[in-house]
Amino acid sequence: MLVLGRLALLAGFCALWEALPRVGLADPELLPPFSTVLATLGELLARPALLADLGTTTLELLVAVALALPLGTLLGLALGENERLARIFDPLVFFLFSIPKSIFLPLFILTMGIGFWQKVAFGVFSTLFIVLMSAAAAVRSVRPDHVFTARAFGASRAQIAWRVYLPSMLPILLEGFRLAVIFGFTAVLLAEMYASRTGMGHQIASWGENFMLQRLFAGVLLLSVVAIAMNEAIRGIEARCSHWRS
Amino acid sequence: MQPLAELNRDAAPAPRGMIEVSGLNHAYATRQGPVQALENVALTVGQGRFTVIVGPSGCGKSSLLMMLAGLRAASAGQILCAGRPITAPDPDRVGVVFQEANLFPWLTALDNVAFPLTLRRAPKAERQARARAMLELVGLGDAATRYPHELSGGMKQRVSIARGLVQDPPVLLLDEPFAALDEQTRMAMGEELLRIWAATRKTVVFVTHSLTEAVYLADEVLVMSARPGRIIDRMPVPLPRPRSYEMMASAEFGRLRDRIWQQIKAPAR
Ligand SMILES: Nc1ncnc2c1ncn2[C@@H]1O[C@H](COP(=O)(O)OP(=O)(O)OP(=O)(O)O)[C@@H](O)[C@H]1O
Ligand SMILES: [Mg+2]
Repeated sequence: MLVLGRLALLAGFCALWEALPRVGLADPELLPPFSTVLATLGELLARPALLADLGTTTLELLVAVALALPLGTLLGLALGENERLARIFDPLVFFLFSIPKSIFLPLFILTMGIGFWQKVAFGVFSTLFIVLMSAAAAVRSVRPDHVFTARAFGASRAQIAWRVYLPSMLPILLEGFRLAVIFGFTAVLLAEMYASRTGMGHQIASWGENFMLQRLFAGVLLLSVVAIAMNEAIRGIEARCSHWRS
Repeated sequence: MQPLAELNRDAAPAPRGMIEVSGLNHAYATRQGPVQALENVALTVGQGRFTVIVGPSGCGKSSLLMMLAGLRAASAGQILCAGRPITAPDPDRVGVVFQEANLFPWLTALDNVAFPLTLRRAPKAERQARARAMLELVGLGDAATRYPHELSGGMKQRVSIARGLVQDPPVLLLDEPFAALDEQTRMAMGEELLRIWAATRKTVVFVTHSLTEAVYLADEVLVMSARPGRIIDRMPVPLPRPRSYEMMASAEFGRLRDRIWQQIKAPAR
């Protein structure tokens, strides 16, 4: 019933998208019908050049996240475990977290150019604070009485880390990782749109500038699906690791 | 204090479940200075005996139990279990059950019970068989795959007792294990514990606030004074076993309970 309802909603959305430009309620130049966009997407996906762009963007994101996750987690663990360190650094981290990262993009271009590593660096910069803050929150969510109990049954430090800290922290950590992927994707695409010769962001920007709306919409559709798929995949892992909560 | 220990080591080895505490003192360091929690506590619990400790709130019962469990070092004094000193948690000798069940919410009831065995890297089949047997023992054989949030307070506490028993330690320490339960469940759990104790013949040290519970369960009740905690009475409970609910109405039961009450009732301030 629920699934049916949701499918109906999706179908309705596509139908509306199809109908509005066809019956003249929307300008087909500005909003190409859904079927046209789908066809364009099919054409684009058959092109090696576009697949290369998609690959570049994905790789930038993956590398950025692969760097930000361990780095942010380690820093977060340090802050979460060390009271004194936390009291010094917490406000700083919090302020940095609240600043929009996009305003630093020109600085990244000035110092690093417009290549692959600049996108990665900006991606890391944009996600690090989220990972760091969720890791710190995750450590603080570990209950002392759980640690105490494990000790009472003779747990070593390594066993406490592995069998108490990790499972306690996992739900919050994964939530942070999921947000990091979303923010990282945004950051990498933004950097590509701003200044780049490759990548999906670069393509989207140039299709927009050149008024190629069929392609623009096809690109939007593609990236939306990719983003949703990544998000759902992590949510699936989250659900498996935190079913015991509540 | 030394001679007692020496004597035991030279003579026949102390029974597995025997606890001997002598000259135990403990002061907590606080910002206001040292807080004397225990003062010259000495006690002996014989193999297989059920000893209950009562005393006013804050008198150091939990502290004493933590020390027996090796979870906290005393400022001075000696704790022997089976003739050997306790200096660190030793789950082979001592099992612990806390006031809060303290189950790990991410593990099933079975895995919670098996946790101490997991720490020792026991083979999985053995772990599961042992844990299952303990769950049966506490009457939760059919709840093995449930998570803590799917269990009632009393069930959690029983899982916690099963976990305390899983390594088959000769000694079981329980710190107000039923305090969070309602009166009915509490009575039922007390009976349950006596049944398990009769079946396993462990040495039990049990802390409680309930005088009725104390008399109902104990071979001997140790009464502690307000802080700094000292043992001010050792009261044998000569009621026959198995204990029954009806005994609580007896004159003897009332007399025993009254004797404890007279000693711990707070002096009017
Ligand atoms: N970690 C600690 N640091 C400082 N003081 C402590 C600490 N733990 C306990 N105390 C103090 O030591 C005394 C004994 O505490 P303990 O918890 O052993 O009492 P208790 O008899 O178990 O009390 P209750 O019946 O309320 O559980 C109390 O006065 C308490 O304030
Ligand atoms: Mg206590």
